[in-house]
Amino acid sequence: MTNIVKVQGLQKSFGKFKALHDVSFTVNAGEVAGFIGPNGAGKSTTIRTLLGIIQRDAGDATIFGKDVWKDSLEIHKRISYVPGDVALWGSLTGGEIIDLFMKLHGGGDKTKRDYLIKRFELDPKKKAKGYSKGNRQKVGLIAALSVDSDLYIFDEPTSGLDPLMESVFQDEVEKIKLAGKAILLSSHILSEVERLADKVVIIRQGKVVETGTLDELRHLTRSTVTMVTQGDVAKMASVNGVHDFKQSGNQATFSADNECINDILSEAAKLGVKKFESVPPTLEDLFMRHYEV
Amino acid sequence: MQEKFARSRVLFVQYLKRDWKKIIIWILGLGLFSAGFVPAFEEIGKGQGLQGMYETMQNPAMISMVGPTPVETAADYTLGAMYAHEMLLFCGLFAMIIAALHVVSHTRKEEDLGLTELVRSFQVGRQANSLAVIAEVVLINFLLALVIGGVMTSYGADTISADGAFLFGASIGMAGILGAVIALVMAQIMPTSSGATGSSLGIVGLLYILRAGTDVSNVDFSMINPMGWTYLAYPFTKNNWIPLIVAIVFSVIVVIIAFALEGGRDMGAGYLSEREGRESAKKSLLSVPGLFTKLNKGVMISWLIAFVIMGAAYGSIYGDMQAFLESNEVMSQMFTISGVSIEESFTGTIMMVLIGMVSILPIAIVNKLFSEETRLHLSQLYATKVTRAQLYWTSVILAIAAGIVGILLASGGLGATAISAMGDRSSINMRDFFVAGYNFFPSVLFFTGLAALALGWAPRLGKAVYGYLGYSFALNYFGGILDLPEWFAKTAVQSWIPRMPVDPFDAATFIAISVISVALMVMGYMGYRKRDMVEGA
Repeated sequence: MTNIVKVQGLQKSFGKFKALHDVSFTVNAGEVAGFIGPNGAGKSTTIRTLLGIIQRDAGDATIFGKDVWKDSLEIHKRISYVPGDVALWGSLTGGEIIDLFMKLHGGGDKTKRDYLIKRFELDPKKKAKGYSKGNRQKVGLIAALSVDSDLYIFDEPTSGLDPLMESVFQDEVEKIKLAGKAILLSSHILSEVERLADKVVIIRQGKVVETGTLDELRHLTRSTVTMVTQGDVAKMASVNGVHDFKQSGNQATFSADNECINDILSEAAKLGVKKFESVPPTLEDLFMRHYEV
Repeated sequence: MQEKFARSRVLFVQYLKRDWKKIIIWILGLGLFSAGFVPAFEEIGKGQGLQGMYETMQNPAMISMVGPTPVETAADYTLGAMYAHEMLLFCGLFAMIIAALHVVSHTRKEEDLGLTELVRSFQVGRQANSLAVIAEVVLINFLLALVIGGVMTSYGADTISADGAFLFGASIGMAGILGAVIALVMAQIMPTSSGATGSSLGIVGLLYILRAGTDVSNVDFSMINPMGWTYLAYPFTKNNWIPLIVAIVFSVIVVIIAFALEGGRDMGAGYLSEREGRESAKKSLLSVPGLFTKLNKGVMISWLIAFVIMGAAYGSIYGDMQAFLESNEVMSQMFTISGVSIEESFTGTIMMVLIGMVSILPIAIVNKLFSEETRLHLSQLYATKVTRAQLYWTSVILAIAAGIVGILLASGGLGATAISAMGDRSSINMRDFFVAGYNFFPSVLFFTGLAALALGWAPRLGKAVYGYLGYSFALNYFGGILDLPEWFAKTAVQSWIPRMPVDPFDAATFIAISVISVALMVMGYMGYRKRDMVEGA
């Protein structure tokens, strides 16, 4: 069984508002799945459905091959979750809350806890109401990373963290990924997803609009080409597969269909190439492509 | 000065805009409730009604609940005198509570929510908000006084004169302002909004209980009690404005103290600050019951202390009862004929009041689970092996346990003080008090069950259970005064339960209500098990 998470045709409405129309994706062991989409696209609703906090209207959702609603407790023994907005009891200290979460999850590792508290530079003696947003987030992350699970669900886990702590988080996620765990990472920070994710699921208005590895997605998208030629570069504008052509002097910038790259290169060779750069699309380009237009 | 209160006028106008619906309900609701019972009282007063009521109201039990009257003979007990006697204290108490809740919600609560931080980043004085809120509350209570005075005058009853009616209204308005200034001070001292709300209501409750004691033993002492400054104006009989002037002076002084306290503290901090905490959790915290006990600890301890004090305060009245009977022949005969001692009769009534209060705590504990849910505190717990059944039943069982301990402390406090106040003349013993208290246990269970049902199916209605509690309380309160039809009185759950030790124990009712309550809890669980968690929406 390789699919740790399997979601098929998930639907959910809140009253008249249809939050999820059709959500399908899978997450496998030893894999980080990046779950991206703008605010209100249905990321958190999907995650809450996976956690059995809310009940789906239609579709199938399983974790470890078990139904997320009916067998939620069986599932919860082996997962860890960090919400995007970790709300804590103001009267308890960070240390007490971490201990409590570990105990309620079961099977926590005390040395790991102390190691993570140090790495994330958290003061565990402070009452939670004195914590900033980033520090509350750290409490949630430490509690989730101190226990041993097979699936980690992170819903915008680094919101409010400083860049140093973000990179500590990314290190830790890479460690658990190498240990063969499955990770579902919902995030706005595309550079983070780009660094960690093996697979990307893009959701828009309750529908998954794109899913696949970053390479696969990149292949479907145009690369950005910048070139300088000896001859008149304007001729490139009419070549098959060239789009959004812009020229200044002998330099041209355009986007190119990946399957036409050979034609473009041979046309360019005739003009005498002085410089040729091709940049694959960043995740941000991919993302924007789905939301603009 | 300028610096501290800059832009408070803007905030004041903003509050009126934000709250206008609440203000209308507040003024009309409380105003009509306070002024609108004149026709009902005219009905009671027909024939020998006024004299009969005068005798009834001489009972210390009644005085401890509704306050005293300056009238000395039954013949002088007019409609106006009766109305002020029976309505003024209760309405003033309501006005105080509403105003106190409102002030905390616009001061300490906004601070806790981080709204104040945003507001202060503009060109707004550090104390502008407090000034704006107090101005709003004063305006609301001023309008409330006018509405009450106007409505009462409009009935054109003989003994309800215009100046008396406006004094009656002004007393209620003044009660609201007193509640507001007390809350403003508490908002500075306490470290959280719930602490400020709890302590303000605690003070109001304590003042009410203290005046019950002084009203029965020596009314003059009630004059040093802020709550006394409302009903001691005696509208329609003495029309004495002096208590109101005292109250105004007191309010101004308290507001100045509050401003001084506020000026001396940091935003978000209180004078009772918090210590540094533990690095690791104690064993006792590390379970669902442990967590919920800890979360409810503050509320439970303060209410349990309040129950003992309330019981003790009512208990102290028992010493004066025999003296009262000796001075009043009609009442003395009444009790001799019915074969019930005055202490027994009082115990039955007061126990209903006390156990009504005790019901607040279990409702609060059950409602706590939903407030934890909406504040996202449980998000990470849902993803562990903690079941919904654990969360639900832990809360419900904790609530029931708190109810059991609450009854124990309330009846224990009442009984112990009553027996020591009565000395050798005691006609009832400790056991009678406990039996009378636990006799009302099904009603506590019933309120817990209602709250649990709401938690499972319509969690936003959890607060409405307090509404029903207040309704049943008011119904039983006025049930002794107004002659309510049987079916109407029975809409309050306590009305089904006999009042021991006067009435005999009714096992069938006791069991029936308990079973219904447990059924409500089970039904609530069925809803809770399958509903979507709300999570801040």
